[in-house]
Amino acid sequence: MSIEQVLFYVFAVAIVASASAVVFLRNPVGSAMSLVACFFFLAGVYVLLWAHTIAALQVLVYAGAIMVLFLFVIMLLSLTDTGPLVQLTPSRAAGALAAVAVFSALIVALKKLPDVAPGWTADPSQVARFGTIQYLGEVLYTKWLFPFEAVSLLLLVAIVGAVVVAKPRI
Amino acid sequence: MNDFLPLIPAATLVVGAIVLMLSEVFLASANRGYMVIVATLTSVVAAVAAFWNAFEPARSVLQGYAVLDPFSSFMTCMVCVGTALSGLVASSFLKHRNAERGEFYALVLFAAAGMSLLALSNEFITIFINLEVLSVATYSLTAYLRRGGRPAEAGFKYFILGAFSASLLLYGAALLYGATGVTKLDELERALPLAAATQPALVYVGFGLVLAGFAFKVAAVPFHMWTPDVYEGAPTPVTALMSAGVKSAAFVSLVRVFLAMKGALPPEVPYLLFAALALVTMVAGNLLAMPQRNVKRMLAYSSIAHAGYLLLGVAALFAPAGASAKAGVLAVTPLLGGTAVAAGDVYKGLLFYLLGYTVTTVGAFGCVAAIERREDETRTNTWDLERFAGLAQRQPGWAVAMAAFMLSLAGVPPTAGFIGKLFVFSAAVDAGLIGLAVAGVLASVAGTYYYLRVVVYMFMRPSPDEATAPFRHWTMDVALVTSAVAVVALGLLPGPVAQWLSRAGMMFGHF
Repeated sequence: MSIEQVLFYVFAVAIVASASAVVFLRNPVGSAMSLVACFFFLAGVYVLLWAHTIAALQVLVYAGAIMVLFLFVIMLLSLTDTGPLVQLTPSRAAGALAAVAVFSALIVALKKLPDVAPGWTADPSQVARFGTIQYLGEVLYTKWLFPFEAVSLLLLVAIVGAVVVAKPRI
Repeated sequence: MNDFLPLIPAATLVVGAIVLMLSEVFLASANRGYMVIVATLTSVVAAVAAFWNAFEPARSVLQGYAVLDPFSSFMTCMVCVGTALSGLVASSFLKHRNAERGEFYALVLFAAAGMSLLALSNEFITIFINLEVLSVATYSLTAYLRRGGRPAEAGFKYFILGAFSASLLLYGAALLYGATGVTKLDELERALPLAAATQPALVYVGFGLVLAGFAFKVAAVPFHMWTPDVYEGAPTPVTALMSAGVKSAAFVSLVRVFLAMKGALPPEVPYLLFAALALVTMVAGNLLAMPQRNVKRMLAYSSIAHAGYLLLGVAALFAPAGASAKAGVLAVTPLLGGTAVAAGDVYKGLLFYLLGYTVTTVGAFGCVAAIERREDETRTNTWDLERFAGLAQRQPGWAVAMAAFMLSLAGVPPTAGFIGKLFVFSAAVDAGLIGLAVAGVLASVAGTYYYLRVVVYMFMRPSPDEATAPFRHWTMDVALVTSAVAVVALGLLPGPVAQWLSRAGMMFGHF
């Protein structure tokens, strides 16, 4: 096993563990902190994929800014430490079964992957350039301009929508 | 410059939305009568621009991220018509509740811009982003009026389930990207056959997840659970916009995505999936609508049934040539030897059906909104059939319009709904789906029961004693008259519109 593979498994196990903790912890602050941990480990996977910029943004924006807001909201709502225990009803059991079925299908699908991903290049000059801010900026503002502008529309709509929903009462 | 032609309708809508949003800030006047006029004019201008685009030759624009084809342009045109009509309905509805604000119209126009952009997106990430634009706008519109418990529940349910379904779509697209290394649909079409040969499991799971994501958006059974609650809880004009616009835009995108994936799979697979979805959706939608006494909820279930008829058209598009699929009622039986699937007829059927459905459903929800009173918010029987009893004596004009909408939804001539069903079912028969078409006709006959029940209540039951006079505003009358006239006119004279919609080269890359 190469060092990358070892690191990948470390991060992967940590991601699954912290993501499960987000769901299963009964204390909302604990859940939020597990989510921060999950974001950090995910950033590690991005680094292994040569996506340095995305990894840095992941830590700065998600683990930093957004999670602080999450914690503020949890504190403002002053939730009790422990949420209600989930009762097992027939519809929940059916939902759990469906989730297990989807996961099994995914495991079957992902079990046999090609050794080399399509579009992958081992050319060192390209690999070194790949995750940099310069390359990201070039691609984003030339090739991906239309989706990029669509994102700006999405953010505008999200802001207006959030203000409308947050208004006390119309 | 030619590259930006397809963006003109969406850009018009966005500019109109921003103007309305800023006017709310800078014109601090309590008189907001101009807003509905600005919103309607914007939608009409966008509709005209889209109509203009529909006669351009189909081509790929913006480096392959979008297409300019008549299919998406006609769809944009219909969405703009639906937006204008729902805006007019909303004006009267909100004025009565003292809740008319610029941001409402802004969000409606943003949603329409998202629908227009979704219809022309030709790349998975762009599709996802534009789907989110329209979804985020409709989520917040659903929770716009939060009086009573129901709207908050509806908004939350729609948001959670919508986000879940969008993530399914995104995950499916990611798996397809993993198998092929591309996200543009035309490149995917070329790369997928090889990937399906080497990585079949990945391609099939990706296909299934993308299908599930779209099925949520068009409210196909078994992904329809959210529809009745959300349609009932949302403000009625917003429900009209959702059932007309969101569904049409999602259908266009669904057809585009699956046509690109068609070549990689054995022809029975997409066909059987769509045929089964169509059958289940038509039957379940109609059966669930039957026991409803709540007219708004009944219309929600009926919109599920109509998604089923549209899926029948989609299944006809994927019907394998020659009788290779045999599965009971889903079997493909060529009438005269091997039938070549006439894709043009299917596009015409789908578009005409969507046009007829847009004007009909906006009108029907408009009538529901018209007789809804502000005092009803705390009651539980707001939309009960009893409220329609004797409407013909109290409001003869509205009752006649509502009767036209109900007949059109049921598919009775001479209405737009009849011609739409005729086109879709005859395209299905031409493609050899006789069993499925018969099932569709039987389902729509069963549906007549609950549509005509509303008519019976309006015309043959006495008015209840405590019936109150409804709030009247000219915008509501304009919306109802326009849609009623359109429903009957499209039913009597479908010729010119059908001719526009049967242009060759409807869908870029597929004829």
